[in-house]
Amino acid sequence: MVNTMNDNKKMPAGNLARYVPAILFLAFVFGMAIWFLFAPKKDYSSSEKRYLQEFPDTSVDSIASGGFGTDFESFFADHFPGRNMWVGFNSYYNLAIGNNGADGVYNCSDDYLINKPVSETENYIERNMGVISEFKKKTGKPMTVLLAPSTGYVASDVLPLIHNKYNDNKYIDSAITTFAESGIDFVDLREPFKNAYEIGNQIYYKTDHHWTTRGAFIAYTELCNRLGLEPASEEKFVKEAHDGFYGTTYSTSGFWFTPPDEIEIWKDPKLTAQVKITEGGNTSDFDSLYFYDHLEEDDKYPVFIDGNHALTEIINNNAKGGTAVVIKDSFSHSIAPFLAENYKKLILVDLRYFKNSVSDLVKNENPDQLLCIYGIDNLATDTDLAWLQ
Amino acid sequence: MVFSSLVFMFAYLPLTLLIYYIVPRKGRNIFLFFINLVFYGWGEPKLVFLMLFNILFNYLGGFLVDKFRQDEKKKKLFLILTCILDIGILAVFKYTGMITETLNMLPFLNIPELQISLPIGISFYTFQTMSYVIDVYRDDAPVSKNFINFGTYVALFPQLIAGPIVRYRDVAYQLTHRRESLEQFTKGVKLFLVGMGKKVLIANQMGILADSLLAENARSGVLGTWVGIIAYTFQIYFDFSGYSDMACGLGNMLGFEFLKNFDYPYISKSITEFWRRWHISLSTWFKEYVYIPLGGNRKGVKRQIINLLIVWGLTGLWHGASYNFILWGLYYGLLLILEKFVLKRFLDKLPPALQHVYTMFIVIIGWGLFYFTDISQLGAFVTNLFNFGNGLCSNTALNMILSYLPLLVAAAVASTPVGAKLYNQIKDRSWAWAPETVYCAAVLLISTASMVNQSYNPFLYFRF
Repeated sequence: MVNTMNDNKKMPAGNLARYVPAILFLAFVFGMAIWFLFAPKKDYSSSEKRYLQEFPDTSVDSIASGGFGTDFESFFADHFPGRNMWVGFNSYYNLAIGNNGADGVYNCSDDYLINKPVSETENYIERNMGVISEFKKKTGKPMTVLLAPSTGYVASDVLPLIHNKYNDNKYIDSAITTFAESGIDFVDLREPFKNAYEIGNQIYYKTDHHWTTRGAFIAYTELCNRLGLEPASEEKFVKEAHDGFYGTTYSTSGFWFTPPDEIEIWKDPKLTAQVKITEGGNTSDFDSLYFYDHLEEDDKYPVFIDGNHALTEIINNNAKGGTAVVIKDSFSHSIAPFLAENYKKLILVDLRYFKNSVSDLVKNENPDQLLCIYGIDNLATDTDLAWLQ
Repeated sequence: MVFSSLVFMFAYLPLTLLIYYIVPRKGRNIFLFFINLVFYGWGEPKLVFLMLFNILFNYLGGFLVDKFRQDEKKKKLFLILTCILDIGILAVFKYTGMITETLNMLPFLNIPELQISLPIGISFYTFQTMSYVIDVYRDDAPVSKNFINFGTYVALFPQLIAGPIVRYRDVAYQLTHRRESLEQFTKGVKLFLVGMGKKVLIANQMGILADSLLAENARSGVLGTWVGIIAYTFQIYFDFSGYSDMACGLGNMLGFEFLKNFDYPYISKSITEFWRRWHISLSTWFKEYVYIPLGGNRKGVKRQIINLLIVWGLTGLWHGASYNFILWGLYYGLLLILEKFVLKRFLDKLPPALQHVYTMFIVIIGWGLFYFTDISQLGAFVTNLFNFGNGLCSNTALNMILSYLPLLVAAAVASTPVGAKLYNQIKDRSWAWAPETVYCAAVLLISTASMVNQSYNPFLYFRF
């Protein structure tokens, strides 16, 4: 039997400095542990938009089942001191070692944070287009589809040198064919967006995946032209800009040094609209399209019609047009105020949350027009459109 | 609990160290015994009973073997009984699924499949306890007179869940006579952070690269597939050896010394050498407790070949309850036999660079067998390595490879002893602490950031 421990004593005796790594380690580990103990615990993480893990249940059952152990790990991680600072550190570290971004977001020039292209393997775009076509056939109503191209496709000049291909051309070409076969009108935004972007317009937010109000307005104009409606002119609107908008690609990526966006609200002073929001069987009425409370938050996009809801109705009795049912994701929120110029009643249905029959809704409301407004990336990854029946 | 988790680093470890060093020396093993069980039962507390049972019957087995030291028959009987119980428990918890699945292939059988989840570390600690009883039987180790000390050895948290497989005889003296020192503690901290760096800075990243390139429908192309499996080759080495380093480092912090488990396996010039450098504690175990008892090379060439195949089939099976692991084991068994009896003469004449290429080619293909538990996926993988049907390298694969190129290069360099050689040049200098501290700080910061990031899950479709 060898007592290997004696070997340690033979190490050269130098100054005490040789213990510095150990002292540093202990200081760090104990320091963070003590900081964790005394730091105030938050219940909500605004950059993640989720409630954090509470201190786990200490009942015998919970401990015996191992639930306590698992929950405690989440609790510990969720309330770890300087959590967001660490997340940012990790993102910039990843950038430094050669990755072009972090957590599915490219760190681009001109302060853009852009979602990577959707994966080709978990891609439901063909299926979802099929579902839309089926729905159009079933209801027999005129339908127009508007898809927002991805930011990376339009703002391709800011992408990092090494980046995956944005397949918008493939998807949109396929959409044109599929929808033409089913008699669905399709608004191709590729050219208008690329042209507007090239002459210096900001079509998309830099820290968020949505289109800007400018982008939404261009899309609105194109849509009206296709529908044969008269689009409201830009002069009609009073524009206000709000600073400090940190959107989804900002909070996902953790590139905290990216400057915020400005969010613009284009308000028509003459337009008076009622908004009815239905969620879980309860309907609430509002008399504005804009929910200014959300401007207090980092993510200000929900300022438009209060963000995601199962069913949102917008009523403008002074409009010339009739009723439109909009099958949509959140890209529709900033275009909806423009569409309210043209329709007396807009009914926005979000299939991620609306689980009733949309056919029944269409039967009851008997709209003049069906619209489908999605960001192309969302359409490719959405698994809830199957509910459209 | 795993070492690379926030709870371990910033709750379990500081608390353990604090109490360990406050408790007087006599009580330290009792404390370790208790805190080991907390570590082990953290995710699934009922496993603690399995662990206690294991400690108890092996302790008893050792005791009985020792008691009947003079009675050859009884001594052997108690050894065999203990080993059967050890292997039996391992078989039930690890291989039940595999056995029923195999039996159900018979047309007339339809055994309901039991869902038994694998208790963590069972393969490691079962081998440790068996080494104890066998060593006592062979008189290679003293019998343990103290249940707590024995239990502390079996469940010692540093090496509990991923090795190294520490033989009782190597730590028996340390269990009762170790003297912790600041010198050894500092060494432990450095080793722990070397391991943490291997795991978090390299292995995890290589894992992302490998998984994305080797995914079933990735169509990465020939080059993409090769880089994928090379990335996995790096992942498994840095993950496993990183974990061993962390274990040895933590052992040092508590005053223990464990034997080295990895010795730069990827610089080997033959498969024989590779297995002398890879997971040393496991190959030693199989050599001492299976190969040599079977007769080793003392009963003629034919018997030696059979013995080698048995040992390597079992080595494969030890790695997981799936046929691809047996295949992987036998693959090495055959290659080692081939090297021993045929190839060795030719290999020695090759230039060293070619010997190295030959070895790494076999090792990399071997990791393919290891990676794909599904045989049909394995077939597709082998095809992808040589068939240009999916092109040389897909665009996505190329982007992925380019993004990870700096790390791939770093991993290749870190697989060689270059870093250690450089470090040996400076480690006795009076200023050596400065670069050491910089390294330790960097690993601590980056690993903590990476661990925190895993818990950061922004919820995009939040509704107010």
